[in-house]
Amino acid sequence: MPTENLSDKRMSKFKNKGKEPTKMRDRRIAECVELRKAHKVESIMKRRNISSVGDEEPLSPEDNTDNKQVISETIQEIVANVNGECPEKQRQGCQAARKLLSRERNPPLKEIIEAGLLTRFVEFLGRNDDPTLQFEAAWSLTNVASGTSWHTQQVVEHGAVPAFIALLASPMLNISEQAVWALGNIAVSSGIWTPHTSGFASVIAQCNPQNVLQVGYLRNLTWTLSNLCRNKNPFPRFSAVQQMLPSIIQLLHHSDKSILSDACWAISYLTDGPNERIDVVIKTGILPRLVELLGFEELTVVTPALRSIGNIVSGSDLQTQAAIDAGVLSALPQLMRHPKSSVQKEAAWAVSNIAAGPCQQIQQLITCGLLAPLVDLLRNGDFKTQREAVWAVTNYTSGGTVDQVVHLVKCGALEAILNLLQAKDTKTVLVILDAINNIFLAAEKLGEVDKLCLLVEEVGGLDRIEFLQNHENNAVYRAAQALIEKYFSEDGDDQCLTTEATDSNFVFGPSDLQKRFVF
Amino acid sequence: VRVLDPSISVAIMELNDGNLQTLTEYLQKTLIPDPAVRRPAEKFLESVEGNQNYPILLLTVLEKSQDEVIRVCAAVTFKNYIKRNWRIVEDEPNKISDPDRTAIKANIVNLMLTSPEQIQKQLSDAISIIGREDFPQKWPDLLTEMVTRFQSGDFHIINGVLRTAHSLFKRYRHEFKSNELWSEIKLVLDTFAQPLTELFKATIDLCQTHATDVNALKVLFSSLTLISKLFYSLNFQDLPEFFEDNMETWMTNFHNLLTLDNKLLQTDDEEEAGLLELLKSQICDNAALYAQKYDEEFQPYLPRFVTAIWNLLVTTGQEVKYDLLVSNAIQFLASVCERPHYKHLFEDQNVLTSICEKVIVPNMEFRSADEEAFEGNAEEYIIRDLEGSDIDTRRRAACDLVRGLCKFFEGPVTGIFSGYVNSMLTEYAKNPGVNWKHKDAAIYLVTSLASKAQTQKHGITQANELVNLCEFFVNHILVDLKSPNVNEFPVLKADAIKYVMTFRSQLPKEQLLEAVPLLVAHLQTESIVQHTYAAHSLERLFTMRGANNATLITPAEMAPFTEQLLNNLFKALAIPGSSENEYIMKAIMRSFSLLQDAIVPYIPTLIGQLTHKLLLVSKNPSKPHFNHYLFESLCLSIRITCKANQDTVGSFEEALFPVFTEILQNDVQEFVPYVFQVMSLLLEIHTSSIPSSYMALFPHLLQPVLWERTGNIPPLVRLLQAYLEKGATTIASTAADKIPGLLGVFQKLIASKANDHQGFYLLNSIVEQMPPDSITQYRKQIFILLFQRLQSSKTTKFVKSFLVFINLYCVKYGAIALQEIFDGIQPKMFGMVVEKIIIPEVQKVSGQVEKKICAVGITKILTECPAMMDTEYTKLWTPLLQALIGLFELPEDDSIPDDEHFIDIEDTPGYQTAFSQLAFAGKKEHDPIGDAVNNPKILLAQSLHKLSTACPGRVPSMLSTSLPAEALQFLQGYLQAATVQLV
Repeated sequence: MPTENLSDKRMSKFKNKGKEPTKMRDRRIAECVELRKAHKVESIMKRRNISSVGDEEPLSPEDNTDNKQVISETIQEIVANVNGECPEKQRQGCQAARKLLSRERNPPLKEIIEAGLLTRFVEFLGRNDDPTLQFEAAWSLTNVASGTSWHTQQVVEHGAVPAFIALLASPMLNISEQAVWALGNIAVSSGIWTPHTSGFASVIAQCNPQNVLQVGYLRNLTWTLSNLCRNKNPFPRFSAVQQMLPSIIQLLHHSDKSILSDACWAISYLTDGPNERIDVVIKTGILPRLVELLGFEELTVVTPALRSIGNIVSGSDLQTQAAIDAGVLSALPQLMRHPKSSVQKEAAWAVSNIAAGPCQQIQQLITCGLLAPLVDLLRNGDFKTQREAVWAVTNYTSGGTVDQVVHLVKCGALEAILNLLQAKDTKTVLVILDAINNIFLAAEKLGEVDKLCLLVEEVGGLDRIEFLQNHENNAVYRAAQALIEKYFSEDGDDQCLTTEATDSNFVFGPSDLQKRFVF
Repeated sequence: VRVLDPSISVAIMELNDGNLQTLTEYLQKTLIPDPAVRRPAEKFLESVEGNQNYPILLLTVLEKSQDEVIRVCAAVTFKNYIKRNWRIVEDEPNKISDPDRTAIKANIVNLMLTSPEQIQKQLSDAISIIGREDFPQKWPDLLTEMVTRFQSGDFHIINGVLRTAHSLFKRYRHEFKSNELWSEIKLVLDTFAQPLTELFKATIDLCQTHATDVNALKVLFSSLTLISKLFYSLNFQDLPEFFEDNMETWMTNFHNLLTLDNKLLQTDDEEEAGLLELLKSQICDNAALYAQKYDEEFQPYLPRFVTAIWNLLVTTGQEVKYDLLVSNAIQFLASVCERPHYKHLFEDQNVLTSICEKVIVPNMEFRSADEEAFEGNAEEYIIRDLEGSDIDTRRRAACDLVRGLCKFFEGPVTGIFSGYVNSMLTEYAKNPGVNWKHKDAAIYLVTSLASKAQTQKHGITQANELVNLCEFFVNHILVDLKSPNVNEFPVLKADAIKYVMTFRSQLPKEQLLEAVPLLVAHLQTESIVQHTYAAHSLERLFTMRGANNATLITPAEMAPFTEQLLNNLFKALAIPGSSENEYIMKAIMRSFSLLQDAIVPYIPTLIGQLTHKLLLVSKNPSKPHFNHYLFESLCLSIRITCKANQDTVGSFEEALFPVFTEILQNDVQEFVPYVFQVMSLLLEIHTSSIPSSYMALFPHLLQPVLWERTGNIPPLVRLLQAYLEKGATTIASTAADKIPGLLGVFQKLIASKANDHQGFYLLNSIVEQMPPDSITQYRKQIFILLFQRLQSSKTTKFVKSFLVFINLYCVKYGAIALQEIFDGIQPKMFGMVVEKIIIPEVQKVSGQVEKKICAVGITKILTECPAMMDTEYTKLWTPLLQALIGLFELPEDDSIPDDEHFIDIEDTPGYQTAFSQLAFAGKKEHDPIGDAVNNPKILLAQSLHKLSTACPGRVPSMLSTSLPAEALQFLQGYLQAATVQLV
């Protein structure tokens, strides 16, 4: 079949069907070149502390100027103060630096680094005798680390990480919190972070137990944890994951939305990887809770919870089954009907991966009533959702039993995907042709090809498939042509033995002495 | 003068005047029509193109020659050279030297941009070929070089750049997403998107500045069209960040351009789309792309575009040149209106009304172009109107929009249109002579509104319940059909006829019966479309099924009209323009098939007319469908008449053989397969021995040349089978020397995976019909050939046929003969076939007769073959029995019902296969075992009983030791039914 290539490729994209586990998940990973707005990932992930709490005096207009001259003078003053021995001056300098770094616009990160202030700031982190100084230094460093990777790297290279880790145990709530925050920023820039991961992973354990009771503090902590989990290149070490997981699981039972959201994100990062990583998460027994969170109102919680579930069902059949057993199939229909199209899309993605499983799991899709919303999405979803839903149909039809395929067709999926043959996306078109081919294979087994041909024609599908025979893309036109030739017309010829001929007749008799026959 | 002699050519050609001169001369010669001059020159150029500097020399000629013709010729030659040689194929030598490659890439863009248009196009093509291979990695500065030209202000140059860019980027529209592709697009976007946007804005400004200068405007508008095409390519794969950020600029300007009109750019040409139309069409495509894929981001702009496009539709005229624009624009609305979250844009009753009134209705109108086609080019009109080759027409787009709107607003839309239909009908009624087109539009509107699903075979299969189709039929359609002046208002008559056909499944039978005689009357009309539609409608009505799967309209109901129907159909074939009208011929075929015995009295007259027609068309077969139905009609005449009276077969042979002889002698390839089929049909009717006229033809049928044409194979096999059935003994006695040739055909056929089943048909007939002695000497060779094929390429189809054949052989010659011949070819062969082929594959055999043959054959192997009981084959005995029980107990294939009348002769042109099988020449299924065995299960029981009494104790012990319980249970059932017991 012409779609052979496609199915090979697809197979390796879904679950255990492909033999190459490394390729299993390239639907998300390999598509790293993006044309879309990247939404400035790093700067969004990192956070700068620009609150003015603790500042008695409002910022004067001069302080907030972009005037290079003024800034450079301020920095010179800071350098002088910070490098001096007078604690009072040190505090002043540090605070001035922090204020500069907390400006709404254009904080002079680079200038501060170039002025050589970091060494001193890191040193101040260890000044348990002077909590104010500690705090101002931690804040300054937090904001420097919130810049680009390069900025973060400078902070790390000055040895800030162990110093911050030490500060986690600080009895002062604001200091410990600032350390958590800084570490969160540092965690965002991957690579830099790895050497210190193991030391940091037990971050929760090192925190002052009193502090953990504060919601604000916990929010920061959760956010930092999620950042720690986020790295993919390389993934956090298993030992580190093991250390973090209990805390994350605990946080998932908190009632604060923001904490829940970040904890879910953490889970989604941890499950976005090879099956062994998914296993670690499943073993915590968190699945029922994740499914429960799918039912929340808040998009900020539902989105990462759904992503986590989506990741888990992209794992092995057993892992998918674990998610099904936890009730994910009863939660998905309402998400497929969610008002936000991004949620619909993620839900359809999850369904597409469940549909890539064995026919028992496909049966559960039917039993739990997922086909009706799936067909709705094919009809009315936005394009990205439709694309995922189409994959679901193709996976379903390639792994489902004949009865299951018939059921799907009866639910209206065939008509819906035939309509989508007009989609302006070559891959989607090819995937649909593959699904149509699968459906025909089922019809062949039932001896109902003619009936299916009529159905396809009736809803205008034949016109569209014929039209695709003129498609510019070779794979598409060949797949369309193959369908037309196989099901809407007849076949050709080929010779496997030779026959001699004269003008008047063929010469009868085997031409060569046979070898031994073995069948 | 130095001559470039390829035999002593050095690797490098010098860039000097001599070589330039020589090259010019050869280029000149390639333009001379005389092949004696042209060919050697082309050969020469090809022979030197491997030399270094050759392309540079070409480019130099292209640049420096004074002769315009030579310059163009050099450009074309250069492009072709690039096309052939630029691509570096793995493991093949690099055909263009690296310095040449570098030099070409360094100069070509500049050269292209400074050349006149004709040369520019060639070089632009060359650039995109090179670009496809080298861009971006090996040609990193291409884009920057191009982009800098945007600042030149010279739109000749700018359009050159844009055209080249378009040919480089358009593949983004159809290639699969990949990292490589997207990296390239990213790079293009980084370099190109910003300058393109600036250029877009600047060009629009310039259009204002030059608003009165028509020549300047033309150039600027072609730039805008190219820019819009580039936009489409660059935005196709995903929404790029840049374009998301600059959506405001692009969409605002696109929107303005859509609403813009400039008298200067309007063209007088009615047919050819002008620059404005091309630009707006592309903008509609761009908007549709965004609406479909980037819904979320595009949402704020969409309503504006809906309004603009709709206004555009309202203000665009009926001329053909606007067709593409209008159908694109309507398709845009159609795709938007069925999306749930844009529903609200259309919800308002006023909006719906004005879309219906101003967009849909006008585009459904019968235009003068349609009228011209109706009168002057009926064939094309019919293809478009009846067979739906109208993808890009306005009417089709308007229908799609109706269907789209009906998704959410079926009720309101139906309501609005009902009003329209009524008012149009009122207009018509006021003055039919002037306003007949109003009624045409009304009928079209009703049809498009009511049709929800449709197939060629059944017409409308699902209708809008809000439309009362029967009432409309009675009040408005029947009137036209009944009008005594059948030639008045032919378009409306054709509409009425088509209405009957389209809604045949929805209208009650009484109404259809009322229509039948009226349709018959319309077969006589002058208008080709009209009588063609009448024939087609009748044909479709005759295929409808009623109760008990019989035809809806019965021969008895047709009795009063039979004579007139046949008369009018044949008379219609005499109307100018319809002498080879396939619809009429198909209607003749279908009428014969429906009327059956009722046609017998007319056949003596009609067969003359049919043969006469055949003689005429065989001179120059040009209408495959017409010819096919003609042969089908002949077959029906023969079958129906001979069924009533077998003796009439001679008179058919008398009438047909002269024409057939002519066809075979002149080797009219299209007709030969048909002739063989009709001859088979005739021969099969004979009851006594084979007539000598047939025997004379026999040797010719074995000629390899006939068998080389795939279309001949099935009918020839069929014909040879008829020969064997009727004349096996005659062949054995009078033509025994032809038997090897006959077997040669078998050998040829089983060698092919596609035709092997045909080879088996023939072989089965030979084994079944030929006197055993006549083929004894060939038997071993036959099996060796089959084993060879089995060994070299075993396919399921082959195995199935093979199993049927060996079992047939076993039935005919006995199990011992089968076993001995196998083991005579190779020791233990029989066991191997039983174990490796029969046991595992027999379940695949399909078809009742085939299964029966296998059942009887296997029963014989089990019970009449001592080797199965006494040698090492014994271990296969129980598994073979188990396989046989499996064969019995598999769910039976539903055999195809014997209602050939309904077999739909492939209506779809374009799927023609080489072989055109005549449905009505079909042969009855042949059962070689027949009544000898009624119930193979009973036969098995009885045979086992016989075996067990011959060797008491052995059968029960084999059964009890290794036959699974389930199989044993079935077997006991058979034994009980046969009232026998095993001992």
